[in-house]
Amino acid sequence: MQLFFQDLVNGILAGGILAVVALGFSLVWGIMNIINLAHGAFIMLGAYIAWQLFTSLHVDPFLSVPVAFVIMFGFGYLLQRGLINRVVRAPVLATFLLTFGLSLLIQNLALMVWTSDTRAVTPVYSGANFDIHGVTIPWAKVATLAAALLITLVMYLWLQRSKMGRAIRATAMDVGAAQMVGVRVAHIYGVTFGIGAALAGAAGALLSLSYSLNPSMGEPFLIRGFVVCVLGGLGSVEGALIGGLAYGIVASFASNIDFTLYGQHVSGTGLQDVVALLVLLAVLIVRPTGLAGRATA
Amino acid sequence: MGGITGNRYAIGLVLFAMVALLGVPALHNDYITLTFRNILMFAAMSYGWNMIGGYTGYVSFGNVVFFGMGAYCSAALSGHGIDNLVAAVPLAMLVCASFAVVVGIPVLRLRGHYFGIATLGVSLAVADLVNNLDVLGGSSGLVLKQADQAHFWIYYYAMWLVAIGCILGTYAIARSKLGYAFVAIRENEDAAQVLGISPTRYKVTAWALGAMMAGAAGAVYAPANGFIDPSITFAIDNNVFPIVMAILGGMGTVAGPFIGALLLAGINEFLQQKFLQAHTIFFGATIVLVVVFLPRGLMYLVGLRGGVRRWFADLRVFRV
Repeated sequence: MQLFFQDLVNGILAGGILAVVALGFSLVWGIMNIINLAHGAFIMLGAYIAWQLFTSLHVDPFLSVPVAFVIMFGFGYLLQRGLINRVVRAPVLATFLLTFGLSLLIQNLALMVWTSDTRAVTPVYSGANFDIHGVTIPWAKVATLAAALLITLVMYLWLQRSKMGRAIRATAMDVGAAQMVGVRVAHIYGVTFGIGAALAGAAGALLSLSYSLNPSMGEPFLIRGFVVCVLGGLGSVEGALIGGLAYGIVASFASNIDFTLYGQHVSGTGLQDVVALLVLLAVLIVRPTGLAGRATA
Repeated sequence: MGGITGNRYAIGLVLFAMVALLGVPALHNDYITLTFRNILMFAAMSYGWNMIGGYTGYVSFGNVVFFGMGAYCSAALSGHGIDNLVAAVPLAMLVCASFAVVVGIPVLRLRGHYFGIATLGVSLAVADLVNNLDVLGGSSGLVLKQADQAHFWIYYYAMWLVAIGCILGTYAIARSKLGYAFVAIRENEDAAQVLGISPTRYKVTAWALGAMMAGAAGAVYAPANGFIDPSITFAIDNNVFPIVMAILGGMGTVAGPFIGALLLAGINEFLQQKFLQAHTIFFGATIVLVVVFLPRGLMYLVGLRGGVRRWFADLRVFRV
């Protein structure tokens, strides 16, 4: 029973960040119809921004989150306006490949700047934890979850209430109609991609507290972002949150799988993502456009 | 552009190049032989992707899974003392085709992004699984028994046979009723269905045919390399390079994948020799440049009337 609660808590703590990861991914996908394969690389950049600020200037990683958000927003906006916008209307393959190429470029440039050495961000409180009835809970992860929830809430309010948020949602519904009422679509696409990158950056800065850093650290999160999006539905903030938590909990329980089949030892720790991908496939087979999917892809 | 098989002169050129490539081992230069074996391997993988991505228009992002499975078929046979390509290649083709059919029936119901993601998911899940299975060597990989040094050319010619099989196979398929059905699905799936083409059946067929091509290449690669593990067989390069090659050379054509493979793998090899560090950056930059400036492939440039102005005007339609 104690193990059950520990898994549940671990899952929820991990799920909060996944929600932020997936939210950025889901906005770009839902609004611009682009699968951003560079999302993982953006997460990595966010984490390295936090690491660089922590190592050179002793800035607390939680304070680096807004910094990473702003830097990555600018980067994302320029990338969209300068490069991605050139193929935004081309068939699926073009944006798939373009963002994949960008991801490779960014990762390899990061490799040159920060080398392949594994880095860690270790503020004084990183080892501190408390326990409730034998369930161990690290403070840093609780604070991370709180920050993730706060970011999600702010994004929700911004998309629902602000003028820009409305323009973004209008563009997602009908580009032509939005254009007709005076929405500057190219600018909106830039802002959307910028917000996507900013959310990835913020998630990366938060992740730097609990994961070790290297230039390819973002890749697993890209895949998790996919799964969460399909589970939760595109372009929806609530969906990303629910999907993120669901993924965190499933993966956390999957890590305890441990059995022997025909003399073959199977352990769950390496198979967390396999289980999640199987869940994804199962969902897609039943609902080919995702759990909360729209009629058209 | 020359109908369903693409430009006829380009096909002639490819066949001529293939005949010329027969002479490569006669140069007795191991490095050159290895380089061209790699080019042939990437060409075969690119033809495999071209079947589903080029002809039916379903963008698969997980075709590396077939290359990997082919390689592991070879390695599994080698583990049982059978080091024979005549056994390994057909087995790999059979296993890959069966896997493609079983996975394809549910997955090929998806369209657009969802299909791309599902295929990427399948390939990652299989790679993760192999990484965790001790029977297949797990993350530390498997060693295969190789032919002795004097007979090493065997692997080159085996890869050549796989590549020529892919080229001629693609030509024959494209000109058959099958090829026309694939293209009908690519151009308008709903209309194709109205005409009595069962989309699922033809899409699964295309995927399985492509799977056999990639699987055969993998089955030859494993003993030729002498060692395989999940990180080198399921490498992201093996997944994406074949796609970029097909786009560059021309998707949905018979000559395209070979031309793309020759150019990209050739340039990549050259840069790897000159600038070991920077060549992965080149790889990323190539993808970006090809997608932004040559989304319709090289043959589009060859057939272009109207110069640079026309070229950039054609590119502008993709902007917002």
